[in-house]
Amino acid sequence: MTSSDEIVVQTENLTKRYGEFTALEDLSIHVKRGEILGFIGPNGAGKTTTIKVLVGLSKPTSGRATIAGVDCSQQSGKIKHLVGYMPDRFGSYDNMRVREYLDFFAAVFGIYGKKRTQRIEEVLEVTNSGYMQDKFVESLSHGMQQRVGIARTLLHDPQVLILDEPANGLDPKARIEMREILLRLATEGKTLIVTSHILPELARICDTVAIITGGKLKAFGELDEVMRQLCPVRSYEVELVDSQDLERAADLIGETIERDKVTLSPQEYVLRFPTSNTEEELAAVLQKLVQSEISVTQFREVAGDLEDAFLSVAAG
Amino acid sequence: MILFWQNPLYQRELLDRLRSGKTLAAILAVAIISSGLVLLRWPSDNTVDVISQGAMLVFRPLAFALTLAVMMLVPAFPATSLVAERKKGTLTLLLNSPTTPWKIYLGKLLSNVTLSFILISVSMPALAACFAMGGVSVKDHLGPLAIVLVVMAVQYSAIGLWISVRSASSDASLRWTYAAVLALTVLSLGPIVLTGDIAGVYATVARWMTASSPMSALFQITGYEAVAASIGIRTGWFEFCILNAIVTAALAIVTVRKLDPVLLDRARPTGKVVGVTTKKSILRRIAYLVDPNSRKSGIPFWLNPIMVKEFRTRKFGRLHWLIRLVAICAIISLMLTVLAAVGATGWGVDKIAGPMVLMQVALMLLVGPSLGANLIASEVESGGWQILRSTPISPIRVMIGKVMSVVWTMLLVLLATIPGYAVMSFIQPAMSGQVGNVIISLLVAVAMVVSISACVSSFARATAAATASAYGTLLTIFAGTLLVWLARGRPFGPIFIERVLTFNPAAAALSEMNSPGFELYNLTPAAWWVGGGISLGCMLILSVRLWRMTKPD
Repeated sequence: MTSSDEIVVQTENLTKRYGEFTALEDLSIHVKRGEILGFIGPNGAGKTTTIKVLVGLSKPTSGRATIAGVDCSQQSGKIKHLVGYMPDRFGSYDNMRVREYLDFFAAVFGIYGKKRTQRIEEVLEVTNSGYMQDKFVESLSHGMQQRVGIARTLLHDPQVLILDEPANGLDPKARIEMREILLRLATEGKTLIVTSHILPELARICDTVAIITGGKLKAFGELDEVMRQLCPVRSYEVELVDSQDLERAADLIGETIERDKVTLSPQEYVLRFPTSNTEEELAAVLQKLVQSEISVTQFREVAGDLEDAFLSVAAG
Repeated sequence: MILFWQNPLYQRELLDRLRSGKTLAAILAVAIISSGLVLLRWPSDNTVDVISQGAMLVFRPLAFALTLAVMMLVPAFPATSLVAERKKGTLTLLLNSPTTPWKIYLGKLLSNVTLSFILISVSMPALAACFAMGGVSVKDHLGPLAIVLVVMAVQYSAIGLWISVRSASSDASLRWTYAAVLALTVLSLGPIVLTGDIAGVYATVARWMTASSPMSALFQITGYEAVAASIGIRTGWFEFCILNAIVTAALAIVTVRKLDPVLLDRARPTGKVVGVTTKKSILRRIAYLVDPNSRKSGIPFWLNPIMVKEFRTRKFGRLHWLIRLVAICAIISLMLTVLAAVGATGWGVDKIAGPMVLMQVALMLLVGPSLGANLIASEVESGGWQILRSTPISPIRVMIGKVMSVVWTMLLVLLATIPGYAVMSFIQPAMSGQVGNVIISLLVAVAMVVSISACVSSFARATAAATASAYGTLLTIFAGTLLVWLARGRPFGPIFIERVLTFNPAAAALSEMNSPGFELYNLTPAAWWVGGGISLGCMLILSVRLWRMTKPD
């Protein structure tokens, strides 16, 4: 992903209240150009409210949101040209083919003539949807509809794409395709804000994450940093060639980490241990194992994924 | 064998409906209207009416009001019932249970009929008052009316369920059901009214067609046989019941046959790969003029994209369908021209013009509300509105595009009958001014139908609710005012009737043509101003609603 230092999306103390209910409280985040922000939270956390403020469909009670320097609530007309928004509902029309669907939205955005034809071809290509251009929109599978939805958001070539639950309900193959499309868009310089419940999915594509619960921001920052903050104890796994070396290896690791915490799995030729040690200290452990002529095939961190981080935040 | 009230589906459906506030409102409305009519027309001169005029004056509008209530309220629920179950997936569960399709069908049908029976029952005190006044008998009036109303309820429930099992969405089902009810009530009278007494097979068919309309039964029950006979209707309530019992039984069989998991397993339309040089494509072009499977060119800059979208998303809005519709309208127009020429020379222009106006208004009421009510509500329901809001298109452009898509369709319907009026003007040149006024009145009717439906649509979140509300509002205006007209003489004086009729442009057209019963009233241009004002008001409300709906929450 090619991100720059230029901040494109920014919210400052964004608050939204519906009567006495506070949907969003003091949300301050920023996204740089070309970055993918994963916006994570349980149902009713305030994700869609934030998105609606960003796309100019809702006015904040207080605070400010800007996209490329344009105020989202004061200049919502300009925002519509800057943002491509895909809501969680597809919004299909009966008796319309995919190409006609895109043609209609291109006309709504004021794209006419050859430029429109060219643009439709481009977005169909980017989203790998060219083969379905003559199919009726309502007959498409959910995964296909999501791709058409992304194609629609790209028609007016927006700087920022805001996608509400794009991977929701997709099968594994469709999810992989969706991931590839989003990464390609980020590579082309688009800034993306993506909400999802499928947290491991986001971990694979996001540069930064924002975790929100009950309308409040619980964690925000680069993915690795957030995970380190939220999961200070990481899990490591060491795989050996010979299971007979397991005990000896556990003793050597026990010199750096508490021996009791090292667990052995003879069937897998693996031993595991939790650690909060630095990378250098762990490198020294590996070196010790090698010097002791223990044949190591793998020495790796078991990824503490977003799911763990999210659950730890949700648990309070 | 279980009794119908032990059918769990019957119990669930009935309880669900009885618990709803809407049902209570409908029952209260029928009770208030029926008792109000009796109170308004109750004789105050302390004399016994030996020739029964007083009782009949109360009974007639009451009978028509109850018929209108059944027409408006009964079809709504069965029309959405099966399609909603299929959408929610509960129909599959039912079909996979030991419950038979007949039990499902009867549970739904009879629960709706029971509810209709409750609706009709609340008018019992009002009907009893008519009986007490003397001159209205159980055998000739009250009994047949009750039978006709129950037969209507059963038939409309059967029609609703039949259409519901075949429809893809609740709103489409609702639209077609109301269209079928309107067609059975008004359009079925068309052939006999327009052609009069012609002997042969055609006459028999036309005669039985009139029997399918509750109007033929009501004319007989309310003592309007002479009026009915003057326009060629000679069937009564007995024929109505026989014919509709047969139709209902046939509908029940085809609906139950459709309640089969295999038949419900429909393939989704996937679209066809287009080709412009194949033999098939050439054949398609000859058959349709515009190849439905060819790739369409983009929306040109001079057309409102919303309008084009509205046409394209309608089942019959595609160009190849529009061409067919224009062709059908042209054929109907030619037929009407011939009929108008024959009728006008044979019976006189004034006699042929009235039924023509009524047919046109019925056609407008059939097509207009279903299209207009779809405009905003379906967009909101499908999630398309959320996307449109995030685009730079202005609310005024959205409104123009949506409204014009209905206006063009309605004008097409109206244009189909214009040549008939031209023939009348040609045969009786002195009437050309009146014919012109009739056309203006019909244009005002178009404006009212479109604007009121669109306005109603902007307040609804579900298309089915919008469609039902639009039909209800327009039927109240167009048929409700005629009910007041039916109650002319007592208690409503001619001035009051004239004021009420100014809300109905169809009545204005009828008065222009000096149709029987409307000669006394001078409704133009007041009705145009009122109709125009209502349309303008509705458009204003619609534009404010759209403006608010596009603004940030």
